[in-house]
Amino acid sequence: MAITTAPGATGAPGRPAPPYPSGWRRTSLGRKVRDNLTGHAFLIGAVLCFAVFSWYPMVRGVVMSFQRTRRGQTTWVGWDNYARIVDDPSFWTAWKNTFYFTILALVLGYAVPFLVAILLNEFRHAKGYLRILVYLPVMLPPASALFLFKFYAYDPSEAGLFNATLSALHLPTSEWMQSPGMTMPAMVIASTWMNMGSAVLIYLAALQNIPGELYEAAELDGAGIWRRIVNVTIPQTRLILALLAMLQIVATMQLFIEPLILANGAGTGDSATSVAYLIYQHGFFQNDLNGAAALGVIMLVVLAGFSAGYVRLTAKQD
Amino acid sequence: MAQDSGTRTLISHAQLRRGRGRVLYWTLLTVVVVGFTLVFIGPLYWMVTGALKSGQEIAQTPPSLFPQDPQPQNYVDAWTNLNLAKLLFNTFYYAVGAVLFQLVLDTAAAYSLSKLRPVFGNAILGLMLATLMIPAMVLIVPQYVTVIDLPILHLNLLDSPFAIWLPLVANAFNIFLLKRFFDSIPEDLMAAALVDGATPLRTLWSIILPMSRPILGVVSIFAVTAVWKDFLWPKLVMPSPETRTVSVGIYAFAGGTPMNVVIAASVIAAIPTVIIFLVFQRNIMSGLTTGSLKG
Amino acid sequence: MSVPQYRKAAALALVAGLGLSLAACSTKGDDPGKDAGGKVTITVDCQPVGSQKELLQNWNDDVAEFQRQNPDIVIKSVSVGEQCNNPPDFTARLAGGTVTDVFYGYMTDLQQVLDSGQAMDITPYANKDTIPTWDSVDPALKEVFTDGGKLYAVPVKNYSMGLVYNKVLFQRAGLDVNNPPKTWPEVRAAAKKIAALGDGIAGYAEYSAGNTGGWHFTSLLYSQGGQVLTPDGKKADFNNAMGRQVLQNLKDMRYGDNSMGSRQLLQWGDLLTNAGAGKVGMFIGAPDTTQAIVSQFQGKFQDWAMGPLPGQDGPAKATLGGGEGYFFKKGLTPEQVKAGLKWIAYQKLTPGKGQFDYVRSKPQNYPVGLPQPLLFANGSAAQKQELDLRKANANVDTANFAAFEANPVPIKGEPRNAQAIYAVLDAAMSGVLTNPNANIDALLKTAEDKVNKLLAAGS
Repeated sequence: MAITTAPGATGAPGRPAPPYPSGWRRTSLGRKVRDNLTGHAFLIGAVLCFAVFSWYPMVRGVVMSFQRTRRGQTTWVGWDNYARIVDDPSFWTAWKNTFYFTILALVLGYAVPFLVAILLNEFRHAKGYLRILVYLPVMLPPASALFLFKFYAYDPSEAGLFNATLSALHLPTSEWMQSPGMTMPAMVIASTWMNMGSAVLIYLAALQNIPGELYEAAELDGAGIWRRIVNVTIPQTRLILALLAMLQIVATMQLFIEPLILANGAGTGDSATSVAYLIYQHGFFQNDLNGAAALGVIMLVVLAGFSAGYVRLTAKQD
Repeated sequence: MAQDSGTRTLISHAQLRRGRGRVLYWTLLTVVVVGFTLVFIGPLYWMVTGALKSGQEIAQTPPSLFPQDPQPQNYVDAWTNLNLAKLLFNTFYYAVGAVLFQLVLDTAAAYSLSKLRPVFGNAILGLMLATLMIPAMVLIVPQYVTVIDLPILHLNLLDSPFAIWLPLVANAFNIFLLKRFFDSIPEDLMAAALVDGATPLRTLWSIILPMSRPILGVVSIFAVTAVWKDFLWPKLVMPSPETRTVSVGIYAFAGGTPMNVVIAASVIAAIPTVIIFLVFQRNIMSGLTTGSLKG
Repeated sequence: MSVPQYRKAAALALVAGLGLSLAACSTKGDDPGKDAGGKVTITVDCQPVGSQKELLQNWNDDVAEFQRQNPDIVIKSVSVGEQCNNPPDFTARLAGGTVTDVFYGYMTDLQQVLDSGQAMDITPYANKDTIPTWDSVDPALKEVFTDGGKLYAVPVKNYSMGLVYNKVLFQRAGLDVNNPPKTWPEVRAAAKKIAALGDGIAGYAEYSAGNTGGWHFTSLLYSQGGQVLTPDGKKADFNNAMGRQVLQNLKDMRYGDNSMGSRQLLQWGDLLTNAGAGKVGMFIGAPDTTQAIVSQFQGKFQDWAMGPLPGQDGPAKATLGGGEGYFFKKGLTPEQVKAGLKWIAYQKLTPGKGQFDYVRSKPQNYPVGLPQPLLFANGSAAQKQELDLRKANANVDTANFAAFEANPVPIKGEPRNAQAIYAVLDAAMSGVLTNPNANIDALLKTAEDKVNKLLAAGS
């Protein structure tokens, strides 16, 4: 996909000549830099930030994962940290939970905003009002939105909003965050509610850029609403759909604040433990930054595998 | 809202104005308006009124729709005990700084990568884009250790706003968006400026930037949202109560406070952002629409 | 053409901008221990937060008075939150080296503080010259903060747990308010009666999240006569009949009698919020939890009383004791250490001053007369002085705590590595409290495995 494979994006074919001469003379590196001092000066700030806060920590994380620091003494311990992390009974549960959340969030948190955006785009009335409504939760501090769910919606007694509503309708109630089966769905609902506004706005923006003639042409060909969505809307918003899918997956893999606030951490029987929470738990509760770093590296490897697969998949489609 | 009959969408305009289509349209619109109001305003109503209830009333079954004995004191307590003014100020300060740092450094870098052809430009861009796939959580521990003791300089950035601003500059998504936009600016314009004797800085300032307002708007929105939504990173690097963000402050405060006061604090914390959004709503939407986010 | 100059200028500006911004960070570094006027400055944390208005006022008054008496010392107070030691924040401060010169910690934190390399050996400084009441301080408490013969912190508070109960609910349920349950079966019977009042009231409430579940499990286990770790501290020792009994008692109350309310996964503030709202009949805690219920959670003093920790078929075999102290950051000058000790002596260890200024606390919304903080050794001069002052100024009915005081239970400290172990034990607690079909044996087995691994990794 464009983001990872084609850095040139729009500028790729038929690159115009650079406005400032640089490559046509055989010169040393230092000379090249001196010749284009501005170009490099402009780059240096961001590159430094990347180097210090992104590239270096990546290397540091790998190094840390093979070390152990105790009372200020750092020693090399080989694969010990990995062995300890994988040996933790919560390790597999955390991965299972994280994948489960990611999949649920894809179904709910990814498809719903797109459908809502399509719907809102059709309306000719109350557009601004609906748009603001959807975006309102995004403006709450995330901790606030989750406390709202925790205290009011998911209260396990009938004092809770959801249970009060359900029992008023004579439907079975749930213990929500206290019931292992409901923990993840409940977190996805809360997470989708508080985050979907941004996605809806981005989709709406993308939808407004679809040329109307395409729909007209499709309609003339006898395509119904569903076929028009499949044949026009989706292909026309493909790039943004792919982009948000990736961002969404990367974001949901980091599931952290939802378990921390809604389930006070691990939840009941580890049902809320996520990989990110486990990293936090190891690093800052068990005073084991090295183990946490090892878990981070494992997560990195899993995501790298995942994105390699993703790139192959999207590359085939193109 | 105003009727915009200009653009044709999924379903043709005319179809919605006739017979069955019209009925369907209005029914659906009503259902959606009512449904969305319930789903999105309902919880907020619950929040505002719940914060007015006493501890006993909140725990009551079934919950009451209106507070029977309103306790505005909860809001006063929340404001004073939590030092919300300070938390809000911190959050906005971090957000403004993040926008400035990202606008200056990321724009400069994207401009350089797009137009100035630095050595190893593509390799650098590739390395930057590679970080897109790495969620913050993976790096949280080494990043934290780095911020505590910056390599070479040996500075400790804890409790310093730079611990939030600088890591946010390392945002490959912004650089990608900006570079893509700059790539689409015709080289002729650049060449013309060069002929006129303009320096790259001047070209950027007087030709590129004015054309790039929408994309700069998008980057700013993302920068503000990132600061507003982030939780674990500010929790770790801003440990003292004076430097906390709103979200972290409310969380820290929640441990030792009755929940109606916590909720009252949440309501107050949300007000300024809601106002900002309402004021800039049009700009934000148009920014997103024209900001090169098309498919 | 001036292009090269322009370019250079631009580059310089950018680099300079970045350099400046980095340099700006360094200005917020450590304050020097001594300023030009020859004054010694120390930073101290755990200043009360704004919501604890009177406590904060008291603290600030103490600082002012102390500085008046010691004009060469400057105390800089730092507030670190509602809970002075929230484990993850505390860990972050230790790892980040942002602890204050004199910093607050739990008795269980000694190992972690030593591991972080932030603690200073204060053995040569802690004596009668810096702390006048030092010889009266309970030696057992000093021992807790000692490692390898070296002292690392000064104890400032000590507590032990008992059964805290709501007298109003006891009365409504027809129970004897002056005769709290003495065994777990009696607690169960009482909880059932209180829960029968309905209205979402829990007869007995218990923690199961945020490490507090493990903390209370430990206390409950002590009451059975058990221990969390083997005496050598190398293995878990709770997967046995006593550990099972602890969880079985809770399971019976939660699902057998349904007398623990439906809200679970509680951590510190959650339970106290419910208690403040009058929805909790009994829970285990230290005497000062009643203070938190009143000052932070909108409850009332006169509602609460306390008895000794129950045991399984008689008095509890032991109860959990814990406490707090102040550590000293490595690298302080001797003057700073002495100044810090003097401050602690003044504010925390002098009868009639600071936390013992009962005359000042009496009219405030804070209790005087609680059987706490138990800092001074039995029979010491300071203990007698403190006790007399407390009795003379009591503003709570000491009868409420008579049952607790009259039936002392042997106190047992917390295990090493307590916070990490507590995090593991939370899962066992939340297991029995949220799953009607919980398998107690499996829960204990899992927790045992995890704790053993943790201990093996730590050594």
